[in-house]
Amino acid sequence: MKAVILAANRSARLSPFIETRCKPMIRIAGQYILENTVRFLKAAGINDILLVVNHQQDLIRNVFESGQKHGVNIEYIVQNELLGIGHALNLCQSSLEKKPFLLVYGDVLTDDNPYLSILQTYTETDKEVAMVALPESSKEFGNVYLDHEMKISRLIEKPSGDQANYVFAGMFVLFPNIFELLEMFNNDISRCYEHIIGTGGLQACLWEKGWIDMIHPWHILVANQMLMNSWETANIDNSAKLLGHVHLEGAVRIGPNVTVESGTVLKGPCYIGENSYIGNNSLIRNYSAIGPNSTVGYGSELKNCVLFGSNDIGRLSFVGDSVIGENTTTGSGLTTVNHTAEYSPVICKTGHGAVETGLIKLGAFFGDNVKIGVRHVTGPGSILNSGSKIPDSTTI
Amino acid sequence: MCGISGIVHSENFGRSLLNSIKNLEYRGYDSCGVAVIQNGKIDLRKNIGGIDDVNLKERLDQMQGKIGIAHTRWATHGGVTQENAHPHLSANRKFAVVHNGIISNYQQLRERLLSEGVCFDSLTDTEVFVNLLEKSYTESNDLEQAFLAALQQIEGSFSIVMLSSHDPENLYCVKKESPLLLGLGEGCNYVGSDINAFLEYTRKAIVLDEGEYVILGPNEYQVRSLKTGKKLKKNVLHIDWDVETSKKGGFSHYMLKEIFDEPQTVRQAMQIPKEQIVALAEMFADSSRSYMMGVGTTYYVASISQYYFSALAECYYSALSSDEFSVVDIKQGDMVLAISQSGETYDTKTALVYAKECGAKTAAIVNVMGSAISMMADQVIMQGSGPEICVVSTKAALAQTFIMVRVALELGLIRRKIKQKDYKKFQNEMQEFSEIIEIVLNEQSGFVRNIARDTSHVEHWLFLGCGVYYPVAMESALKMKEVTYQHAEGMPAGFLKHGTLSMVESALHTLFFVPPPEQKELHKRTLIAMEQVKSRGGTVIAIIFQGDELAQKLAFQSINLPVVSSLFAPLLQMIIAQMFAYYAALDLGRNIDKPRNLGKSVTVG
Repeated sequence: MKAVILAANRSARLSPFIETRCKPMIRIAGQYILENTVRFLKAAGINDILLVVNHQQDLIRNVFESGQKHGVNIEYIVQNELLGIGHALNLCQSSLEKKPFLLVYGDVLTDDNPYLSILQTYTETDKEVAMVALPESSKEFGNVYLDHEMKISRLIEKPSGDQANYVFAGMFVLFPNIFELLEMFNNDISRCYEHIIGTGGLQACLWEKGWIDMIHPWHILVANQMLMNSWETANIDNSAKLLGHVHLEGAVRIGPNVTVESGTVLKGPCYIGENSYIGNNSLIRNYSAIGPNSTVGYGSELKNCVLFGSNDIGRLSFVGDSVIGENTTTGSGLTTVNHTAEYSPVICKTGHGAVETGLIKLGAFFGDNVKIGVRHVTGPGSILNSGSKIPDSTTI
Repeated sequence: MCGISGIVHSENFGRSLLNSIKNLEYRGYDSCGVAVIQNGKIDLRKNIGGIDDVNLKERLDQMQGKIGIAHTRWATHGGVTQENAHPHLSANRKFAVVHNGIISNYQQLRERLLSEGVCFDSLTDTEVFVNLLEKSYTESNDLEQAFLAALQQIEGSFSIVMLSSHDPENLYCVKKESPLLLGLGEGCNYVGSDINAFLEYTRKAIVLDEGEYVILGPNEYQVRSLKTGKKLKKNVLHIDWDVETSKKGGFSHYMLKEIFDEPQTVRQAMQIPKEQIVALAEMFADSSRSYMMGVGTTYYVASISQYYFSALAECYYSALSSDEFSVVDIKQGDMVLAISQSGETYDTKTALVYAKECGAKTAAIVNVMGSAISMMADQVIMQGSGPEICVVSTKAALAQTFIMVRVALELGLIRRKIKQKDYKKFQNEMQEFSEIIEIVLNEQSGFVRNIARDTSHVEHWLFLGCGVYYPVAMESALKMKEVTYQHAEGMPAGFLKHGTLSMVESALHTLFFVPPPEQKELHKRTLIAMEQVKSRGGTVIAIIFQGDELAQKLAFQSINLPVVSSLFAPLLQMIIAQMFAYYAALDLGRNIDKPRNLGKSVTVG
């Protein structure tokens, strides 16, 4: 069976991280989302992948190339105009050879292999299958009703606030006649699903393990936690150097050529990517993911944060509940304040207006290539766009 | 639901056939049987009981042969008797058939065959079909033609597998509206109601579609269309998964599957003939003293029923835990109702024997047909909830409660305590209830899971309610204890101030079962208790009905149910509490379907 991964879309609400990459290329706990997807597909016996791309496609092509490195064959299909899922799928018709196929929304992340389950349900029922999950909040997604046979009996596109249902988890096994439906319904994929449901044919496959579709930038932190929670063991590369009196606790993962200076405490789950350097007497607390080629200066504290890589965190800094884009550097003495004075839920001022995050603890979001000078304090929920430059805060 | 299977040419034949139905046992287990061809003749063995029991009696595993069929039954029509068990033989013993589904026009066909001089052993529709086969064969002398001719005469939904000594090499199978799959082995083929029948032996399968029939030999198979007779090309599926998962039909646990079965089980309970419900209500009305008993969950079902009898029929009957039943001094003319899912519960059986010895009239609500309790009681209502596999009872308990509401309603009418107009209104609400459950299961599952996750670490719970919500709280606390191993105590909300309130501090969590505001008195009393907990720093979580702002303000977190009539409000809360316990246990990684130290039917004292 072939798989179609939709990776073309531009999810504006994930700003400031989406301008410079597409959602499947967000790196969490050391891995791109797309890498995770491809790895699971491969493990479920799927070797042929159609990858629909557009926004920031070079990034994908550079990392995945023909798929050989990941043990799969990747065919790229460019969706020049972003006209929705139905349109994207339609572009794949000729490559699918009139056979059932797996449709995967490229931006969802799971902590275990969902494709084994969905293929099992398909084989067992010989019907079209949709994976369904029960997310924290179901307002953002199309909701589904399940009956006692695990068939989907209803689809509610825009659920009201007093509902919390199962939702489409962005993985489907579909039959080739979907293309006739797409034509009939003008590439409106929801109406196609509704049609399949109406004719009694959409089987649900229930996913009760970790699942997330990141909508807002703080969801990157949630996804990072989800992945790290599934780690059961620590893993330290042979080439890593821990220089005296480094204290480790829990599932600590350290990549090749990492140096950790003495006096540093690492509390798992946490991750330090290859070629990174952690200065003396630092405290790397749980759910910290430090991307490759980064430096964390002496005496810094990191907690629940994702550093995309090639970062430089100046000495004596605190980075908590924050996401730092690639190639972003911060001068010494940075503090990301991660709660309001009253400990009320943090409101994040995004480019699309103020959004209530519901989170009591939330730090800052710096895009890629941001340069921050020394001695800065950022308020809870602050956002810096990619390429921002903040000079040193000097008093003399 | 029944399970059927067949095997053509296998090593270790008897054992393989037995395993195939053993793997279908979750589809039903009140009787089973096997038919094989040995020395040109059909050897048939069948009996009542679970598959292991029947095997002990009949030594199914030692049957010899190369081709055979097997069946495990869950009776929906007709009693559980050896005659009614499958396979069924034709009068000349040259045809044997296993069947899953219903032949709807069998009554007419049976009468026609009777008039033509055919004798029947059983009352089943299947036996009609097998004799039709025999008749058709005498006319055409061609097995395939006879099979098709017989099929043409029957209506309904069915999957059938036929074995005949006229053709010891092939099985004849057909699928219409009941599932049937083929399994392809090396020099050996299989057929079964689902994949589990042969997953142990082969991972290659074919799913049959509507209106297809198959002639299945050891090395080949032919799938044809019933309508056109044309040979069809079928996809061979390769299956690589474990048996356990597929039995749950896609749900992660039987418990969740069975919770999602609840709309269906309520519909089934609604279909129990009114005469049976009235007959039970009359037993209550005619007896000088009546008792209801059960143990564990069924005791709480009895306790909940007490309140319904009081509200709808203005009478009081004691609910007793079966293991404490001997406290009652039963006299001639008393009546005892036993409630048991399995119908084999030791304590309830013992108490029922005692009641009978004392001369009481007995009645029972049971899920498993042919079980000891269902055979003992004078009046039995089969709840028809289908097999319940999870040790923790959910759908069966709900169906029992629902049936008791129906009984209370009829008793209210008999005792002239409810008006015809109200009775009609309640009946309508009953009809709609299954749909409401469907909505609640789907629209609330997310909220319930989030709260369950947030609180799964809580080691001590108080579950509190007033009036009928009190036994609902007790039952829900039992669910919580069974499946999460955390401590939960159900008690009347009014009890708090008489002692338990001293336990309240921030770590103590309470789950309140808040009645709809229209039940003013109960609602007020519940809110007072919530206030008591909240003001002392305890954590209040509440299951409330939409628009109940007073309760919502008092609760730290709440699950808001759609407004339903007060008649069914407690049942809806019971369902939510089942889900709550399920999701808490899921978060804690418990062995949900088989919690430690527990068994499905407690058949020991």
